[in-house]
Amino acid sequence: MIKRVEINYRGIFQKNLAKKIGGDIVLIATRMGQVGFSNGRYSDSPERNGIPCKYFAFISPDLSEEELEAECGAKLDIDEADISVVLDDTMVKGVEPWAWHGIRPINEKVIEGGCLLVVSRRSHQELLKFIAKKPYNYNLAILEGDASFAGLWVYKDDLTRERVLGAIAAVDPELISIEAVEQYLWDTTQQEHRVLAARQAYEQVRQSIRTVTPDQGIEWPYQVPTLPKWHEFTEGIVVPAVKRDFKVGPGGQARNTQLKRFTSRTQRPVIRFDLCIKCTLCWYDCPDECFDPTEDGYYDVNYEYCVGCGRCAQVCPVKECIVMVDELRFEDNSSPYEFWKRDPEGYLRWAEEKKGTERITYPFITGTGVHVLEGERVPEGKKIMLKKKEALTS
Amino acid sequence: MPREEVVLYDKIKNVRQTPLEEFYTSGHRTCQGCESAMVMRGFAKAAGPRTIAMGSTGCMYVANTSYMTTPWVIPWMHTQLGSGGSAAVGTAAGLRALMRKGKIPAEKINVISFCGDLGGADMGLSAISAALQTDYDLLIILYDNESAANTDIQATGMTPYGAQTTFTPPGKKHRIMQRRWKKNVAGMLAVGHPTCRYVATACATFPPLDYLNKVRKALTIGGPTFIHTFDPCPKGWDYHPRYSHELGELGIKSGIFPLYEIIDGQVFYTYDARKERIPVREYLIRQGRFAHLTEEDIDYIQKMVDEMWEEWDIPGVVPVRGFLKVADRQPAGVAD
Amino acid sequence: MTTRTEAAVWEREELLTGCQAVAHGVRLADVDVIAAYPIRPYTEVMDAISKIIADGELDAEYIIAASEHDQFEIVKHASSVGARAFAGSSGTGWMYGFEALVVTATDRLPVLFLVGNRALDDPGAFGVEHNDALAVRDMGWLLCWVTTPQEALEHVLIGYRVAEDKRVMMPMALAMDGAFLTHSQHLVRIPTREAVRRFLPPYDLGERRLHPDNPISIAPQVNEDWVMEIRRQNWEAARRARQVIVEAYREFNAVFGDVYSPPYYFEEFMTEDAEVVLVGLGTVARPGRTAVRRLREKGHKVGYINLRWFRPFPTVELRESLRRFRAVGVIDRDFAHGSPDDGGVLLHEIRSCLYPVRERPVVVNFISGLGGRDISIADCMKMFEITQEAAQKDSLDGLVTWVGLRE
Repeated sequence: MIKRVEINYRGIFQKNLAKKIGGDIVLIATRMGQVGFSNGRYSDSPERNGIPCKYFAFISPDLSEEELEAECGAKLDIDEADISVVLDDTMVKGVEPWAWHGIRPINEKVIEGGCLLVVSRRSHQELLKFIAKKPYNYNLAILEGDASFAGLWVYKDDLTRERVLGAIAAVDPELISIEAVEQYLWDTTQQEHRVLAARQAYEQVRQSIRTVTPDQGIEWPYQVPTLPKWHEFTEGIVVPAVKRDFKVGPGGQARNTQLKRFTSRTQRPVIRFDLCIKCTLCWYDCPDECFDPTEDGYYDVNYEYCVGCGRCAQVCPVKECIVMVDELRFEDNSSPYEFWKRDPEGYLRWAEEKKGTERITYPFITGTGVHVLEGERVPEGKKIMLKKKEALTS
Repeated sequence: MPREEVVLYDKIKNVRQTPLEEFYTSGHRTCQGCESAMVMRGFAKAAGPRTIAMGSTGCMYVANTSYMTTPWVIPWMHTQLGSGGSAAVGTAAGLRALMRKGKIPAEKINVISFCGDLGGADMGLSAISAALQTDYDLLIILYDNESAANTDIQATGMTPYGAQTTFTPPGKKHRIMQRRWKKNVAGMLAVGHPTCRYVATACATFPPLDYLNKVRKALTIGGPTFIHTFDPCPKGWDYHPRYSHELGELGIKSGIFPLYEIIDGQVFYTYDARKERIPVREYLIRQGRFAHLTEEDIDYIQKMVDEMWEEWDIPGVVPVRGFLKVADRQPAGVAD
Repeated sequence: MTTRTEAAVWEREELLTGCQAVAHGVRLADVDVIAAYPIRPYTEVMDAISKIIADGELDAEYIIAASEHDQFEIVKHASSVGARAFAGSSGTGWMYGFEALVVTATDRLPVLFLVGNRALDDPGAFGVEHNDALAVRDMGWLLCWVTTPQEALEHVLIGYRVAEDKRVMMPMALAMDGAFLTHSQHLVRIPTREAVRRFLPPYDLGERRLHPDNPISIAPQVNEDWVMEIRRQNWEAARRARQVIVEAYREFNAVFGDVYSPPYYFEEFMTEDAEVVLVGLGTVARPGRTAVRRLREKGHKVGYINLRWFRPFPTVELRESLRRFRAVGVIDRDFAHGSPDDGGVLLHEIRSCLYPVRERPVVVNFISGLGGRDISIADCMKMFEITQEAAQKDSLDGLVTWVGLRE
């Protein structure tokens, strides 16, 4: 028997975290008399900030290590997962790590009776609004918490690692039991709060496991592309360029249609067009060419390609004009500018509702925390210029 | 008396005049907030559709092209890590021969070759130097994110003093493993190639338009030209991706990265850090790669930067300090 | 040789070294871009080309590169925009640019390179050894040895024609023995431009040409989803090249008179009733064939096979030829330390080629002429002697003998 655990994580930000969790599972399972090994999906490297990536742990109570390696090692990706851990809940909208992979459902690999374990503050119902239907029953478990993000050099010690281990023990005690998790954490750290964090997560997640039936979830709107056979594409490693095409207006710029980048996004920019002073900076500073100039001098944003870096929000000189908002508050990638043109008041209401009142500001160095402030509702058309100094506070 | 020449080129006078059309477009695997992607986007926009681009192995190769797709609207070709210069020369030579021999229509086609700091400043320096000796119209852009970012951040000849990389991790015994000072590539190339008419440094987004206009100037002035860009890298420098613009601005305002252009041998500062600089501290403390530095380390870096602006004969460009003034006296210890 | 076409296709005769003959081939092929970097012994071709350009006999860009890597990358990129390109090297210079050689093949760009074979350092040595050119044997290259300046000139034209064929599109290494051929002067018939034009069509990359009118991206980064299929495409091209080579020789004969005879990939000498043959690459054919003549005078049934094309390897043709003999002596002017039987590179290729034959000839191997050491007629006599002995004694199969070594 083989148990396959897949850890879906955000490139770079959660690289160290995912690797540590994968290693922990192996060490704990080994203590329980099983064999195991852990690896990453090497095709994800070089990892890019935010890109959906995977780490794996493979455990067996009865196979030899070599047999386990033969079944699970040296593969581009796994075919099935007993547990799919999702370290950032915005990945439930789908994952596309590279071109010709397709935007795949987060539960693609989860087997019948397996479990999708998501770190999230949302409910099962909220998450299932984005997750694809499966033809069989599986479980959805939620570990309550925020995605733990840090930089390349940093492992952010915020107990997410311990909590995920506790959560996995709740989902499959045979893989790793909570007692083994606790013992492991105590032996390796001698720190009671780590043991406690795992136990609390265990208790919480045990209450959160729900069976998902084939009628729950959504019809997945994306196709997995079929890779051409060797004689079906041009020799000489040649790819046609993006066909030159440009018109002013939403979607007027030709783009790479075979690689859309929105699954890298954890937040998206919400734009109050009524506050826009048409300074062009969001468009000028966007490293993903997502802003489409419009006839009347505004800049629509193409959410199919936006990776959610936040540069536009950062350089925008007007208060509350561009605000980064949690990606899971949105259902689709349609044009906000067209919405605004169609229904200015409706758009304003919609934008304000999506933005909510929480404003998150980030210190410069990744993983050093976030500041949550009370947002402000700027009346329609009231353009308040920001001082550069304010924007720079770290 | 310095002679000042005006380069007559199609200048983008304000942000609203920036061409709207993209020739490097959405759908690339770059990091969130990637500044090097801005370098790509900027040169393609400034140069326009009659351009051929070549890219050396590095982030802007691996991240930009995920087979079988491309974000490039203009023709683009991969070249090897150390052949940024060779690719430009080969392409320009091929085009010139074919045009002269009537095999393709004669027209101006911009030839732009880009390489990262690992490829351009270390391995490919000799090929770039050779390219700058030719008489072909070509532009080489060194996009410098101060590490081998594609290999998960290893130190290169362009990594600044003190920075953490996977080759230079701070440890229990050695806090600073990166003890080399950043190589001065643009200055070196300008000084060493008398017939190269244009060498510049730039940051893709600060000051706005500066980089785009430098690309246009380089392409207009003709011959082999070189631009070295300063590219904050959220992945390797460890800062939140939303701050790429700020990091570029801080690097320039603190004088860490000098902005200048050298046109026909004349130096023009496009941000004059001789006059006013913010402390390098403001720049350093905002990056995780410098998180292990002590106040003494920061003071040392400040001292080096101050020297660059106050003591170099050509501040920010040539690290020669009054050599000519003492040359008439033999240094102590030298036998006659 | 037909005389009817002769007047029309041959312009004049000149005394030329192998390198100079190649330079004339480059002139006649109307090459567009040449990148030069000096290293003995190939470099004389660049000396000759620069003079040809200086005298206005060839209109081409001539670039003095900063290294072999620079040199090879320059011609690769020139080729990608549709320019016919030429470069070359020798010995460690060839190895210095090796990365560029690999990508020229995977980019499927039909540049022609002259390899003036030279021993690899250390110690520094100028003499011939084949390991330099052989290094590209697995990389998707066309690889061919010539033995006279005349063949050298003609194989520049044949080489471009094969390499640039749409079915092939592979770079071509034209190898010649350093000093013995690169610097040996012989009378060479030089064809007319008009005849060359009839034989060699213009270089046309078609939809793979890098130009603003044909915007494409060449060689984007791939992951495990693609590499195997791309390798298979290149494998197929190398297979298709076999047919294209035969066509090229036939067409060459049609334009220039019957210069080459089937099977084209190699030429046989006095093999008709031979019991024992030697097989070799390059100028060793001269003492080899002379030894055959002398042994024949004494009544020995011996022959010589001069292998021209190493890649693609003429598997079927060579198998059909060699199976007729009782013993085959393979001459390697190269080394493959620690390889099976500790033989040379050519030995392994030929034994592998013969493996499916039920009644195989005995194959023995000679390591000879390394680092420019001459291979004399007497050396070849000795090789025949050992091979003849092997023909009587199956147990000698796989025997490796160093010939010309101070022992």
